[in-house]
Formats: sequence, structure tokens, C-alpha cells
Amino acid sequence: MTNSKPVTHPSLWQRLFSVWYRHMRVYTKNIFSNGLPPFLEPLIFLAGVGLGLGKYITQSMEGLSYLEFLGTGLLVTSAMFTAAFECSFGTFIRLEFEKVYDGMLAAPITVNNLIIGEIIWAGTKGLFFSFAVLCILTAFRVIALPYSLLAPLVGFLTGLMFATLSLWITSFVKTINHFNFYFTGLISPMFFFSGVVFPTSNLPGYIQPIVEIMPLTHAVRLARAVCTNSYKFSILLDLLYMIVFILVVGFFAIRRLRRRLVN
Amino acid sequence: MAEKVITVRNISKSFKQTKAVSELSFEVEKMTCFGFLGPNGAGKTTMMKMLYNKCTRDKNCGGEINVFGYDPSRNELEIKYLSGVVPQDNNLDDELNVIQNLMIYSKFYNIPSKAARERIGTLLEFLELSEKTKSKITELSGGMKRRLVIARALLNNPKLLILDEPTTGLDPQVRHLIWDKLRQLKKQGTTILLTTHYMEEAFAICDTVLIMHKGRKVMEGQPHDLLEKHIEKYVLELHDDAALQRIFDNALPEHTRIDRSEEITRLFSNNVDYLRTLAGSLEGGHYYLRQANLEDVFLKATGRALDDKQ
Repeated sequence: MTNSKPVTHPSLWQRLFSVWYRHMRVYTKNIFSNGLPPFLEPLIFLAGVGLGLGKYITQSMEGLSYLEFLGTGLLVTSAMFTAAFECSFGTFIRLEFEKVYDGMLAAPITVNNLIIGEIIWAGTKGLFFSFAVLCILTAFRVIALPYSLLAPLVGFLTGLMFATLSLWITSFVKTINHFNFYFTGLISPMFFFSGVVFPTSNLPGYIQPIVEIMPLTHAVRLARAVCTNSYKFSILLDLLYMIVFILVVGFFAIRRLRRRLVN
Repeated sequence: MAEKVITVRNISKSFKQTKAVSELSFEVEKMTCFGFLGPNGAGKTTMMKMLYNKCTRDKNCGGEINVFGYDPSRNELEIKYLSGVVPQDNNLDDELNVIQNLMIYSKFYNIPSKAARERIGTLLEFLELSEKTKSKITELSGGMKRRLVIARALLNNPKLLILDEPTTGLDPQVRHLIWDKLRQLKKQGTTILLTTHYMEEAFAICDTVLIMHKGRKVMEGQPHDLLEKHIEKYVLELHDDAALQRIFDNALPEHTRIDRSEEITRLFSNNVDYLRTLAGSLEGGHYYLRQANLEDVFLKATGRALDDKQ
């Protein structure tokens, strides 16, 4: 039994795109309820800080006003949260409850295509959420154009980072309630100890190594550098950290999740 | 000899404790319908998933899987491109409507949008879903969802259609509609592979049936042949203990087999006159005389049977 002509299945890029397209279509189906909150959230934060908290914080932080300091941090935390939710609860529900992947894997895509497409989609959401924060920050003249236009790209990388981390976590999770540990144990502390809400430089010395390990720390530094257009050599190391993190954690996430998708 | 679409030789698959599939071999000829028959947990789904690498075979089993000349462990994309799969669960995207669900899948096959829309129109018509084009998934009945998943599997004009329990839980009208559609597809050149635990389904549409039990092949053949070779022609079902006692008082003639379950006792024989006489001697009429069917073959093959010597 031989084939008269070789079968031309879709190329790698077409396959990754089709996975991305599936997620995009499902997400944009409810454009109002999915698309509006990313703009509202930074608005509420800025209102809280601008009208209330900000009056008590007169000291500048790393040379920035508090509004500017917090605002540039929010650019990446929004990307972190959306990617973390998408690739934990979202992925788990598609995997275990909706069985979406069982259908998709019957189409000509491989497990790797499926997972990488998912990671790229989470990155895209990170980009969009950063962009939403950027719109609000720009509208209220907290940060200035045009340098800050690069910030959504940092959001994209942040999304990729937290997509790989969350997928890796998801590969261990047996019941959806386990994610509570992930969010209270890892994501929330990151929000507070990665230099988003206050500078990490004054934290006790024994916490510093932890600060450096946390992926969000590097994303925040990169976002601030981009928004204020002030680059130091160490920024390159932050970028390097993010890229290595995505590749290494992504590798392990794919390897572990594979086992749950292919019996 | 007819062209083989699937050749499986000596394939095993173990999960941690259990052996789901055990040294299974079979061949599926082009443009035929091949059915896996077996109870839940027999290994049917696992075997089907191994054909498109959703499930990997045991590395040390030394067996071979060949679909369209490809080995799923190396060329899963080619196999998937040529096949359509209807999984056990419907797994449609509830957020999207009917046509959007299909459009998403057309991207997986890289069908251009315009061609995809035409193809979807044809398929919805074929499966009698045209009126539901814009409907939400949550508004569809179970039978409509099932037909939609079949339409989804047919998007790329598959040469092989794999269906995992296509009609489980559906009403008779929809089941017959689906069977008709599968017969039409077969006529048009599609090879069909399905799992079922409905004997009548296997009998209605399968050219070849493979009965599986605990991961092993119990028997394989054409449904009619299986009936002829493996089971007596007629069955007398008795629902009454007292009647049963009277029968046991008389010695059973040869070639009559008894199969007792908790509530019903079945007497199998090729001699319908004998069974009829026996039934006639019973008062009250708590009996049912019928032709043997594939279900009887299956129950006999997978145990629970007592023969007349016991």
C-alpha cells in the first residue's frame, strides 16, 4: 500500500495560527464582557491612587511619581493576570470539563502545536491587556508617548512567561481547586514583591534573591525602562531572563502537559 | 484483493495497572464499515485513538499500525489530514454558533474561507441542519449536536471517518438518520470505522464486526456470519421461575443451551418447533420466543453462559 502523491497537510505556521484563531474567535465572541474590563481595571486603580492613596505618598519612587511608578507596573501585572488565568483555569476547563482538546487533536495539529498556539494566544492577551492599561495611562497623561508604545510588547513577553509557568502548574493539577494555591501562593506575592507597588531596593537582604528569581520583577523593570526611555545595561539581562524563562519553562510545560493530552 | 486502509498487527496498550488493548490485529478494507463492538472498558476507544496518535501504543509490543501507509507515531498529521474523527464527547464550543464552530475547524485544515463556507453549507444540508446555521450550540438537541460533530469531521472530505459511539443516547429517529448518512458516505467512497455497544447498530451498518472484551479480540466477521456460526437460531426467554422448574423436571433435548441471568432464563436452540412446543406447554404466557441476535452472540462470547451439560 503506497500513496500516489504525498499528503500536504497545513504548514507549521498555519497550524499554530489555527489554534490561535480558535482562541481568538472564542474570546472575541463576547467582546463587550471580555474587552471592557481590561480598560476599567487600570481606571479604578488610578482613581484610587490619584484621588486617595496618592495624597499620602509624596516621596518619589526610583525617581518617578507614585502614579507613574504604579502605572508602569500595572502595564505588566495586567498581562500577568490574564495569561495566568487563561493558562490555568482556562486550560484546565478546556482539558477536563469541555474536552475541547480532544476535538482539536483530531484535526491535523500535534500536541506541541496545540500547546505552543495556546502560549502564543496567552501572549497576545498579555499584549492586549498591556495596551489597554497604556491607553488609560496615556489618556490621563501619566506616561508619555511615543516610547511607551513598546510597552505592549513587554506585555506580550510577560504573557508568554506566565502562560508557560501556568501550563506547567496545570500539568500537575488534579482538581481545579488546586489553582487557589498557585494564585495565593505565587501570583499574589509576586504582585507585591516584584517592585510593582513599591521599590524592592529597600526590602531586607534575605528577600532580595527571591525578588530576583520572580519573573515579574524583570518584566516590571523592562516596562519602566521602556516607558521612561531610560535603558541601563542590566535591562538586557532582564530581557534575557524573560526569554530564557519562556524557553525553559515552556519546554517542561509542553513535556509534562503532553502526557495529559496523549494517553 | 481489496485495498486496505488500516492494518493493525499485534498491538498492545497498557495503562498503569490495566491492559486496555491486548495483542490486537485487524484490517479494514477500503469503502467498508468496520465496527468495534464491546462493553464499556473493552478497549475500543483506546484502539481508535491509537490510529491517530491521541494514544500511543506500548513501545515493546512489537506490533505495527498502518493507516493509509502511514505509521501514526511518525506521520500523525498526514493521517489526521486524511481522516475525520467524531470523538465520544461532542466538545463543541458553546460560545460560538453552528457555522462559527465549523469555520474554526476549517482553519485547522487550511481551507480558504470562501470554500469553507460552501463546504459547510453542503454539509449542513447533508446532515439536515441547514435551518440551524446561526443557532447557538446550547439551543441544539443532543441529536443535532451529534450531527454537527459529524459535519465537523467531514469538513476536509475525509477518506476515513472514525466515530466513537456515534449514536449513544440518541432517539431512534436520529439514530436511523445517522445510519443512513453513514451508508451514503460509504457509497461515496469513505471508509468508516466506529465503536458501539449497540448490537443493532453494528448489524445495521457494519460490514465487519470485531467483538472486543477486556482488550482482546473475541471474534471477528460479518454480522450474519457471526450469527450463523456462533449462536443457535432461536431463543425462548422465560420470565417465570415456576415454568423454569417444570422444564428442568424434563430432560432437555440435545442442542439446547441454557443461559440463566438473575431474572430471565434463555433457552437457545436451532429447533424452533421444539421451543414453540415448550412455550405452548407453559401457562400464563410469561415467555418470549424470538430469533437470536448479535447481542446473544456477544453475551455468549464474553461469558455468563451455561451449556446443557452444566
